[in-house]
Amino acid sequence: MTNFLLYKKKFLRKGSVACLLSLLIGGLSSCTKNFEELNTNPDATSELTPAYVFSLAQYNGAGDNLMLLMGTMQYTTSFNDVAGFGSKYIASQYASSNTTYNNAYHNEVNQINMVLDKLRQDSASNHVEIAIARIWRVFCFSRLTDLYGDVPYSQAGEGYSQSNYKPAYDKQKDIYNDMLNELSSSVQLLDKNSSTFAGGDLLYKGNASQWKRFAGSLMLRLGMRLTKVDIASAEKWVKQAIGGDLIMTESDAAIIKNYVATGQPINRNPIAYSLWNADYIYANGTSNPEGGKYQEVFINRLKNYNDPRLKVLSVVYVNGVADTSMAIQKGMPSTLSAKPANFVTYSEPNQKTILKQDGPLYIFGAAEVQFLLAEAALRGWYSTATPSDLYIAGIDAAMKRWANYGSDGNISNTEIEAYIHAHPLQTSGSMASQLEQIYSELWVELVTNPVESFAYYRRTGYPNLTPNNYPGNATGGKIFRRMLYPISEQNLNTDNYNAAIADQGSNDFMTRIWWDKSN
Amino acid sequence: MKILITGHRFAPKEKLFFFQNEKTTASKRKKLRIKKGLLLLLLLNVFQAYAFFDTTVSLNEKHKSLSYLLEKIGRSHQIHFLYKDEDLAPYKDASINVYNASVEATISELLKNTQLTFYVKKGIVVIKKKDLPTAEFVSNASFQYKSFSNKADDEQVVGSVVDSAGKPIAGAAVTLSNGTTVHTDDQGAFNINANKGDVLVIRMVGYQDQQFVYNGTAPKIVMTAQPRRLEEVVVTALGISRKKSSVVYDVAEVKGSDFTQARENNVANALTGKVAGVDATGISTGPGGSSRIIIRGNGSLTGANQPLYVINGMPMDNSVPGGSSTPNGLVGNVDRGDGIGGINPDDIESISVLKGGAAAALYGSRAANGVILITTKKGRLNQGLGVSYNGSATFDNIAVYPDWQYEYGQGNDGVKPMTKDDAIATGRRSFGAKIDGSSYMAADGQMHPYSAVKDNLKNFYRTGKTYSNSLSISGGNSNLTYRFSMMDLNASAILPNSKFDRKTFNLNVSGKLSPKLSFTAMAQYNYEKGTNRPTAGDALGNPNWLPFMIANTADVRWMKPGYDSLGNETLWNDAAIATNGYFVVNKIKQSDDKNRFIGQFSAEYKILDNLAVKGVISQDQYNYNFQYILPYGTAYIPLGQMQQMKADLAETNSMLTATYNPNLGENFTLNVLGGVNKRKFSNKQINFDGLNFVVPYFYSLTNLQSYTTTPLTQHTETNSAFGSLDLSYKNLAFLSFTGRNDWFSTLSSDHNSIFYPSIGTSLLLHKMFHLPDAISSLKLRGSWAQVGGATPDPYAINIAYSMQNSSTLPLQNVSSTTIANKNLKPLLSTTTEAGFELQMLNNRLGLDFTLYQRKTTDDIVTTAISVASGYDYSILNAGALSNKGVEILLSAKPVMGTNFQWNTSVNFAYNKNRVEKLTDGLNLIQLGTSTSGGAYIDNMLGQPYGVIVGTKMLRNDQGQVIFNKNSGFPVQSGLEVLGNGVPPYTAGFSNDFKYKNFSLNILIDGKFGNKVFSVTDVYGTRMGLHKMTLPGRENGLQVSGVDQKGNAYTNTIPATALRSYYDNYKSYSEMFMQDGSFIKLRQIVLSYNIPFKPTSLIRSASVSFVARNPLILYKKTDNFDPEASITNGAAQGIESFGLPRTKNLGINFMVNF
Repeated sequence: MTNFLLYKKKFLRKGSVACLLSLLIGGLSSCTKNFEELNTNPDATSELTPAYVFSLAQYNGAGDNLMLLMGTMQYTTSFNDVAGFGSKYIASQYASSNTTYNNAYHNEVNQINMVLDKLRQDSASNHVEIAIARIWRVFCFSRLTDLYGDVPYSQAGEGYSQSNYKPAYDKQKDIYNDMLNELSSSVQLLDKNSSTFAGGDLLYKGNASQWKRFAGSLMLRLGMRLTKVDIASAEKWVKQAIGGDLIMTESDAAIIKNYVATGQPINRNPIAYSLWNADYIYANGTSNPEGGKYQEVFINRLKNYNDPRLKVLSVVYVNGVADTSMAIQKGMPSTLSAKPANFVTYSEPNQKTILKQDGPLYIFGAAEVQFLLAEAALRGWYSTATPSDLYIAGIDAAMKRWANYGSDGNISNTEIEAYIHAHPLQTSGSMASQLEQIYSELWVELVTNPVESFAYYRRTGYPNLTPNNYPGNATGGKIFRRMLYPISEQNLNTDNYNAAIADQGSNDFMTRIWWDKSN
Repeated sequence: MKILITGHRFAPKEKLFFFQNEKTTASKRKKLRIKKGLLLLLLLNVFQAYAFFDTTVSLNEKHKSLSYLLEKIGRSHQIHFLYKDEDLAPYKDASINVYNASVEATISELLKNTQLTFYVKKGIVVIKKKDLPTAEFVSNASFQYKSFSNKADDEQVVGSVVDSAGKPIAGAAVTLSNGTTVHTDDQGAFNINANKGDVLVIRMVGYQDQQFVYNGTAPKIVMTAQPRRLEEVVVTALGISRKKSSVVYDVAEVKGSDFTQARENNVANALTGKVAGVDATGISTGPGGSSRIIIRGNGSLTGANQPLYVINGMPMDNSVPGGSSTPNGLVGNVDRGDGIGGINPDDIESISVLKGGAAAALYGSRAANGVILITTKKGRLNQGLGVSYNGSATFDNIAVYPDWQYEYGQGNDGVKPMTKDDAIATGRRSFGAKIDGSSYMAADGQMHPYSAVKDNLKNFYRTGKTYSNSLSISGGNSNLTYRFSMMDLNASAILPNSKFDRKTFNLNVSGKLSPKLSFTAMAQYNYEKGTNRPTAGDALGNPNWLPFMIANTADVRWMKPGYDSLGNETLWNDAAIATNGYFVVNKIKQSDDKNRFIGQFSAEYKILDNLAVKGVISQDQYNYNFQYILPYGTAYIPLGQMQQMKADLAETNSMLTATYNPNLGENFTLNVLGGVNKRKFSNKQINFDGLNFVVPYFYSLTNLQSYTTTPLTQHTETNSAFGSLDLSYKNLAFLSFTGRNDWFSTLSSDHNSIFYPSIGTSLLLHKMFHLPDAISSLKLRGSWAQVGGATPDPYAINIAYSMQNSSTLPLQNVSSTTIANKNLKPLLSTTTEAGFELQMLNNRLGLDFTLYQRKTTDDIVTTAISVASGYDYSILNAGALSNKGVEILLSAKPVMGTNFQWNTSVNFAYNKNRVEKLTDGLNLIQLGTSTSGGAYIDNMLGQPYGVIVGTKMLRNDQGQVIFNKNSGFPVQSGLEVLGNGVPPYTAGFSNDFKYKNFSLNILIDGKFGNKVFSVTDVYGTRMGLHKMTLPGRENGLQVSGVDQKGNAYTNTIPATALRSYYDNYKSYSEMFMQDGSFIKLRQIVLSYNIPFKPTSLIRSASVSFVARNPLILYKKTDNFDPEASITNGAAQGIESFGLPRTKNLGINFMVNF
């Protein structure tokens, strides 16, 4: 070996001579002089601009809607048993069920982490930006953990910053605890004097007081989510939220409005775009590629309640023309296994509202806050207003918000009053029956937010949906209790994955997550 | 017959000529007329006169070819000539006028204005070029022997043949000029009828040919042993030719002629089975597809594993524009063809495969996986017109048809469809009623018989046709030679409307500007055009799903033309993403074209006799355009989609070398080489990806609702210095050192320099010791080498941020989903190799044996990591990988008669690959996944490279299946290793038979020990086509096992839920694992050499019947060809709806003028 080393040394010296020779043929003054410049990507920059990345994190976070849940929550269905519809609980939904997991981490989670790392490096004068990013991070994680249960949280998105390639899974209990604490402490930062993301903030254009309302409402939502598993904590957090600022009016609602009708897919309303793209491009009622329509359950509810939102949300194509007449609206049964001959006669989403790609996306509306407050009032945690008033205020906000989609979404006060009059909260009924009324209303409201609808359904059991026992389904004819981890986690994050399974139960559609404790 | 003087290369055709020509001459004899009597004065030339024939010549001829005149003289005066046709060929306009001249004077006169001279030996007039030393050709059989004796009474000649020690030689062939051949007996004796003056040619393997003029006495012919294979020369690194005996590692050389008859569109595929340790796989992606070659196993966990391709000593590009196709790819997942596929087989003189590190060390980092060295043909002097033509036509048909069930037809739940909607819903489901010949409605809305349709593949695909025409012109003079070639390849795939065309132009000029200064220049231009290359992988836009998956009572042709009157796709099944194959073929538009230029220029200057410098500059560059239009009206993307890619790629190498051979006295020779190289690589690419056409059916980037533009700009540079020392002692012991230092631009300055050495030795034992007579030669060799390699893509070391296409606010994201790593350094591959080359029984039996070990450390690993990390991949110097193997080449010449010869060889290789180390905390690296994620290709610690990982049905210790009581399905196990995706055993068996003017080549090869995960079988099962789905169709399926608590579990899956039950089989990957071992009849070439008069314009011609992959002799896969890989990337072991592999039959015609 020594000979080799000697040889090596000698040769290295030779090598530098050779470099000089290379001058003759290559015109180089040294062997490696221009390497750094060569190895700089001309299509990228080494500087991160927080506002640009944060805007992307907002688009991405808002865009992670697990669309198959629209079927599971019985808003839509298909005659087909393709994976994109969750109405038949079939095994092939396995892969579709983990898309949020697969998207969220390398999109919004990583992006918010990058933003926060950069903001924290830069200076101390950006408390509001930091707070906003932290609140948005809680929002994104709440949706992740509500879908899957235990997920990587405290070590998530640390691939670059900490070289952590196998993040541990945190227990959902711990995640909730931390998320609520994050909201609590972020809100305090929002009072400080600081720069903001301004126009780069899609929700509130950097308005700190509105972010306080969003954070408070999120605390209300997440606090209330603990009623089954830890009623004391639920009460504590709900009360804290109520003590702060909430989204009480449409003007404070968390809405992304700057979507466009044409242009990059990321700039279009993600719910509208994915529905339209998957099934309703042709807008003729017959050529729906995936065979999608509104489900019977949803349309029947609207029809039975004479709900003015029916004409806003739903159309039937008559001779190729969209018709919103209430009388002809009809939902498709979820039990079909082949395209029915009368496929065209079933209702489908309205191109002018729910499918409007430059329409607003409701992240958190005033109606949901009112309904949550109604529950809080029923539980005795809130006394400023009665459950009935809050219930009415919720319906009112839920109806009026459609006007944001343009004139086709207008619902008149008369219609709203008639509806409220016809369906008052039955305050003489049991708390359960009142909650059923409240959360059935919220279910209608959350048609464009199936992820939240799925969470409310699991916590409250409302609305009282009848599962579809489709032949050969994967759940024994029961509605999912959670979504599945990607199989890649089993492959690439084995130990942590196994620990999560050991904590939570098998990676199954019917395994209940922590806050969804069975009673 | 045995010629091994490869210092002068004579193509095999010429070697054969010797024997054939005698026949030719004999047959023409009658046509000759002898003119006599024109008496004219002899113009005298004074020359050394000695009489060797008592004869005089009178002849007056004008404007005849020299060969004609010589033949005429020979015929009239029974004079024997020996010459090379090509030497005489230029002299087509000779005249002579002699009267009663001596033979010498006549010939002298004939040759006086030529470059030829003659002398007389053993009664034969030998004509040669003036500048050729006399000794060169005495035993050189490429000279043609012409005997013009007149017929006389035969005599019985009895003779004997002995070796130089006087021992009799048995089995020697004794051939008379009329073609009669006898063989010597055990005593070396032979018996033949001959006339005085007849020439006998005696041949024996291992000896030089002898010629003998029968003069009436019993001949005793002494044969001298042929110089053994010592003079065999092979092309090694940097294009340097070396005596094979001095090479310290195993090197395999394949002649260009092996590729020109039974052609592969991609010449790399033709290496399959030919070289031990070379695992070559053609990809199931149609005629313009790429190849995957692995030498001695996969050497890098996630980096490049294919060898470096080198043309005339300089590296060339072998990239696939836009990257390889993947096993689970979606839109536009096509194999766009690699760089080696652009080489015209007719331009190849030889291919050397440098397998080990020591062989490849001079090429540095990119040679860690071996080197494939292509030497192209150069111009030649005086070869007739020097024009060659090669034409071939081949026809491709599907090799394997799936063996589906034909008992139950289209439908669901045991019911056949009776409405169009039902028919579409069940278009790819064969879970219907028992096939009974009744009628049903199919997806075309028509009533059809409910009968099995078994020919859907035949009906959908067509016969593929490939026509190739190639023409070359070669010539020059002693100072300048040139060769120009053109090739046109037209291939239509078995997929309708899918075509591939390639035109290749190659010009090679070499010359001497002065005795000290010489140059070579090569220019190659390729134009390649792919039209509708077949998509593989997932269903979207993949034409192969329709013929494979259509229900078994439906005729695929009912789905024609795949679109309605508006041009919108017509549905054939329930899933819009499973595109109608006819729509794909007729409406999806995909095209690519590539303009490629390879230019090389080298100049060499001899400063001294033993000191030379050489400069070479070489560039391989292409411009590439790709366009994919998913039209308006596609079911799964109704408003359509469009992709474009433009790429400009260039690799430039500049190299300067100096060679020095100091004089070290008689016993030692030393060659010293030193050099520097600069490699520049650039790839400028723009990708356009657009969605939704605004104006229907109008396809332009301007007509899209949105599109994104993604640029990719890559620049890299590698600077290198290298050197070698080759020392030999008495030509029996050799020692070789090399060293190279590379500096990489893609690494940080702390880690971008690496040096690696190699050392090797070879010993010729037969020269050092007295070995038994049976051993003709024995060489031992051993080497050790290090090569650094697999440097990452540019920009992998620094994090950077890119703007994202946005229609509103500016959006920014991290540039790569792979985590940047500053600390990357080159990997190191260390090879140790030992072997021997044994020749026995006068070189009739040979054995090459090699043992090697190759260990890769600090492997640069790009690995998929948990998505929860925020990134998809990390890149680390993490891995270690080992390959150990054995290569055996057994060659034999069982029959070496004059009329009939048989050459055979068997090669065998075993490679044991093991993943030795991954980074701490990572237990696997994912290389690929199948469509729908049924199987993964992973590198796992302790396993071989690229194992197939998937799930099983969970079973208890008693082997009973565990069921989930809720769902009624068997419980899915965790991921387990299910098999090896790469075959550890490869073998080839080659046979060359020659009988007179016929030759037959048969190549059989096989690969063993690997598994294949079949996505076709997964979907065949899900759709009720697979025979596995037959049980339970009538009365339901009884299943039994245990539940998850261990209690006995039985259940009957009703016929109505059977589809869901079988559909769920996709959850158990093990059910679709198949043994990928095979033995194939890879190639048959049956050729006939058409005999021509030597004076004819046509120098040689042959016609061949050729077959590639005509027969699979052994396989275990029922429904597909075991070689049905659809990517030339790392993820091997997944079959997924590629274009069916084909068997190819055709003819080939070659002619040389």
